[in-house]
Amino acid sequence: MSPVRLGVSTAFLFFVFVIQESIISRVHLPITGFSLYLAVLICLIALEDRNGAVVMGFIGGLVLDLSPTSQSPFGQWALIFTIIGYVIASNLESIGDFTSEPISFVLFIAAGSGISLAIYLGVGLMLGENSGSLGRAMVVVFGNFLWTLLFTPLFLPIIRKVREMTLTSRERL
Amino acid sequence: MARGGSNRSRLLLVTLLVSSLLLITLDLRGVSLISGSRSVTQTVLSPIQKATSDIFGPVGRFMSDVKNFGKTKAEITDLRAANAKLKNQAILNSDIKGQLAQLKKVLDLAGRGSFKVASARVIGRGSASTFSQTITLDAGSSSGIRKNMTVISENGLVGVVKVVTTNSSIVLLMSDPTFRIGVRVARSQSIGILKGEGANSYTVELLDPAGSLKVGDSLISIGSDNNRPYIPGLPVGVVTKVDHTTTLLTQSATVKAYSNLNELGIVSVVVQAPTTAPKKPINPTPNPTVTVLVTPAPLPTISGTPVSTPSPSTTKAKK
Repeated sequence: MSPVRLGVSTAFLFFVFVIQESIISRVHLPITGFSLYLAVLICLIALEDRNGAVVMGFIGGLVLDLSPTSQSPFGQWALIFTIIGYVIASNLESIGDFTSEPISFVLFIAAGSGISLAIYLGVGLMLGENSGSLGRAMVVVFGNFLWTLLFTPLFLPIIRKVREMTLTSRERL
Repeated sequence: MARGGSNRSRLLLVTLLVSSLLLITLDLRGVSLISGSRSVTQTVLSPIQKATSDIFGPVGRFMSDVKNFGKTKAEITDLRAANAKLKNQAILNSDIKGQLAQLKKVLDLAGRGSFKVASARVIGRGSASTFSQTITLDAGSSSGIRKNMTVISENGLVGVVKVVTTNSSIVLLMSDPTFRIGVRVARSQSIGILKGEGANSYTVELLDPAGSLKVGDSLISIGSDNNRPYIPGLPVGVVTKVDHTTTLLTQSATVKAYSNLNELGIVSVVVQAPTTAPKKPINPTPNPTVTVLVTPAPLPTISGTPVSTPSPSTTKAKK
């Protein structure tokens, strides 16, 4: 992952973060809200190699940690997404690349979004945070999974396009 | 070669994990640079949020209306019935109102409704990627808003200010799981603690085992020291279901908040609580006593000059 692409990817993630915090958070969807940012980040992580996925996870997590509405300690999302990045990249190497299959990829992103929220909840519990009842938390995780599943096909081609634009000629090969 | 790459990956992973843990530790220890980064983000985001609030506000409200369509229709029917009932009650209440006004004077419980507030527009809601329930307001420290101030809507309590920047502030809603407030049951005067549960329902647990709760009981905020974070006398919610579980030492109940947190457009931050509302039981204090010492003077032998006498309103101590 070249430093230029790292910078461009970070700027893109921050742009998505601003959209998430300013626009999407205002829309009251049934069950719970939708996190565009989580879906985009998981998508970008899945398209990277092992080193790129870990770095992208860390930076993406740091941007998410900047959320002013977050009550969790700064660095919690960075920790979670560094691990998620490593796990995704390691498993992609063993199970094969399915990112070119749209349905599998959308399902993967939706599941990843839900699982990352569940891990966030688990880490929060270990750090002594109160996230409400387990039932409510499960509803939030499930709702996020559902909305990600529905909305990801709409923006997935855009994410792919943006990522391709950031690739260097060497990385394209 | 592959092994070397794998080792590099692991080294990178460990480095980033350690960095994350370091950041968490620094934040938990209260290093200002780390904790201040969110305030900086909020400062950057608030103008964008304000602009998008104007543009996308109608979209958000439309989604909310679609979501609550059936509920709103049923609510209108209920409200019409309640309105007719209240009209009849209002006639009967006029006598009680007079008595209440007198009672208020006697008990010196004035002050309710005389809060000094700063009104603000809701320009953002808590991110879906966290479990916290928050809203963002378009007013901050420049409007006199400070951390730990009470936020109210036209119906009652909304939450408490948690983060303040120059032109925006973040409010922790009463529905947040970490939210706790001391409440008083208006009917029985029992005291309890109301907790947010992450959704539209709340639970209240009485502190006194002998206290009682009934469906329809109104809950009023007790207030905090120096009125921060909570001012006293605010309508909080109404009891909708009483839990009769015998295993609990004290009674608990499900509560519906007076404020509809899903439809907040304009809210007010109480920047100055009423100064006249009694925070502690008022002890009757005696009126100041004026002691007049009168020295008996010899009667004037020459008549014509009137002799001054002490006023009857003063207490006399004669020697």
